[in-house]
Amino acid sequence: MDWAGWALFGLVATVALTATLISAQLAGLTRLDLPLVLGTVVTADPDRARVVGFFIHLCVGQGFALGYATAFALLHRATWWLGAVFGLLHVGIALTVILPLLPGVHPRMASPRAGPSSMAVLEPPGMFALNYGFQTPVVAVVVHVIYGIVLGLLLRTG
Amino acid sequence: MTGEPDGTRPGPATPISDYGLLGDTRTAALVAGDGGIDWLCVPRFDGEPLFGRLVGGRAAGTFRVGPVGPATVVQRRYRQHTATLETTWVVGGGRLTLTEGMVAEANHRLLPTTLIVRRLSAEAAAVDAVVEFDPRLGVSHRRPRVRQRHQGLVCEWGSVAVALGVAPGLTIEPGRPVRITVSPGHPVDLVLAVAHHEPLIHVEPLTAWDLLVEDENRWRAWSADIDASLPFREEVVRSLLTLRLLTYSPSRAPVAAPTTSLPEAPGGIRNWDYRYVWPRDASIGVSAFLSVGKPDEAQGFLAWLLHASRLQRPRLPALLTLHGRHVPSEQDLPGWPGYLDSVPVRVGNGAAGQHQLDVYGWVIDAAWGSVQAGHRLYSETWRAVRGFADVVARRWQEPDAGIWEVREPDQHVHSKLMGWLALDRALRIADTHPLPDRHRHRWQQARAAIAAEVRTRGFDPAVGSYVRSYGSSDLDAALLVLPLLDLDSAGSSRVRGTIDAIRDRLRAGDGLLYRYPPGRDGFPGVEGAFLPCSFWLVQALARTGRRAEAIDLFQTLRRYANPLGLYAEELDPATGAHLGNFPQTLTHAALIQAALAIRDADA
Repeated sequence: MDWAGWALFGLVATVALTATLISAQLAGLTRLDLPLVLGTVVTADPDRARVVGFFIHLCVGQGFALGYATAFALLHRATWWLGAVFGLLHVGIALTVILPLLPGVHPRMASPRAGPSSMAVLEPPGMFALNYGFQTPVVAVVVHVIYGIVLGLLLRTG
Repeated sequence: MTGEPDGTRPGPATPISDYGLLGDTRTAALVAGDGGIDWLCVPRFDGEPLFGRLVGGRAAGTFRVGPVGPATVVQRRYRQHTATLETTWVVGGGRLTLTEGMVAEANHRLLPTTLIVRRLSAEAAAVDAVVEFDPRLGVSHRRPRVRQRHQGLVCEWGSVAVALGVAPGLTIEPGRPVRITVSPGHPVDLVLAVAHHEPLIHVEPLTAWDLLVEDENRWRAWSADIDASLPFREEVVRSLLTLRLLTYSPSRAPVAAPTTSLPEAPGGIRNWDYRYVWPRDASIGVSAFLSVGKPDEAQGFLAWLLHASRLQRPRLPALLTLHGRHVPSEQDLPGWPGYLDSVPVRVGNGAAGQHQLDVYGWVIDAAWGSVQAGHRLYSETWRAVRGFADVVARRWQEPDAGIWEVREPDQHVHSKLMGWLALDRALRIADTHPLPDRHRHRWQQARAAIAAEVRTRGFDPAVGSYVRSYGSSDLDAALLVLPLLDLDSAGSSRVRGTIDAIRDRLRAGDGLLYRYPPGRDGFPGVEGAFLPCSFWLVQALARTGRRAEAIDLFQTLRRYANPLGLYAEELDPATGAHLGNFPQTLTHAALIQAALAIRDADA
């Protein structure tokens, strides 16, 4: 497996994903802010949370990149389109499983069952993260496909 | 009196003031004095109606639990400082009491998101009662697929299912009133659980009752924190409870009202969907929560606003959905007969796309209130507030739809005043938060320009009052916020003249005011007196040294509440009937602010 490639290009792919996501936010396409969502596990201050969340996101991205690298090694091929396919699979799981489950473990994220004593303030993403804007699933698909393409182009199978 | 001999509902619409509110801070039900839940949307305030008879007619479903035949309500009240409603009827030689509520605390517990608990109990003698359970989902009043289970009845519509838990041996069929006999000492419990995109969670009736009692204790503890020295404390506590019940806990956003299309004029077309969040109304609520020592509620709203406005920032939409999304465009519901034949019944809201300058003033004032209460704004919150203030500095000269959301934009004086307030409060926040000098200077210039223009073009010397819009001689009751602004001193002739002119020329009856001269909004028909304006008048009087008058007026206005202390948006000056969506966040927030102004006024 391409360990050196994983170490470097995992970071590159995650940075590319994050940069595209931030661009989409600035363009008013989505309110999905992964560094904020992850960072508010640690702190309630949105600005600090984004910094902390960015590094958490890099670690998470590195973890997923390990999965991509392993899959490429097992298939003995790494291409941009295979990366894009993995990206689609990845985003499918993120939108239908990971994000909807987050309210169960995130200390500052409200759940749809939240009641008056809930002090959580971060809005739950809901299915397909639609609570963060109706274009959010599209943005999420695009950024994850970019992540997969970057890894597919840069990782080697040997 | 209530009910027909066969147990079905009477024909004429129940007066709006006859309804009580049940809520769990995620959705809300309206219960008529005959025990009928005539409005409940699931799983959220803006979800599909499960019981919609309020505006949808007989085909839209209801859930009535009450006396079989004609009966007199002898007592109707909330248990003190809780959200549990009690209705007692005299039936023959006995008394029948319905105690009911929704379980609010469902988080981290194996409970349905929506759980309604209703208990019938009898005193003195056994009493015949009726259970009419007729759930119909959505705009087309879909009938459910029905199954009888040992825990009770299950009704399904694909992703939505409801279970009605009842005592063993009691069989309920949807749409068919069932008679039961309630004996003293043997209460009958009914538990309605709703599942939305998840399996049903059955709750035993006795367990459900215990959960309701737990919730009651929580509400009492929540109410006990409220400033004990407040004047009109009972009314204020009920209003705060109502505001909290109408605040959607998962996002901390307050809906304007839990209903759609209760008419502002019976039989007319002024029927709007209020199941959304108006940042303006919510900001007034924030100030109210902050002033009574409930900062968590205020912080929750600011956090929501920060998140919700992100897609459109720095523009601040007039209204948003509970999750901060675009409000769907207005749509008429065909076949819905409306309340007292008031059609169309609408969902969605056409005001969502309007430019309303005043919103910026309310929101920034709420942020200023938070800073005053000792909370430093997060950098991101401050950046958002700066963006809002920049919009005001850039766009204040444009015509807007104003607080009353008229469909033809105009140069509304109230909007300009609130623009002035936005910049003034932003500058005050900037005293303790970073702001480049050039930026500050721009805001100061815009604030001064607004003040100069409003003083010349927005004031009618002949009347001695500020007016509704440039060049008009009409008045606007929203101008009663003037004493809060410090644009002119509270004792100035301009402020006092405006208050007196509004009180005189927009008078609609004892203590009541029209928001503007009736009929001047481009819609056919005439609406009622606008209740928040009367509470703003109380506030204005208290703030200008007329405390005794303010107290007198408050005393008058408390008589207009329904027996449960709830208010709609408007009142028919001739009949005293409540009009418009019910209960109304804005009216209750204005009531709280009026009481606070009386508290803070010099005796």
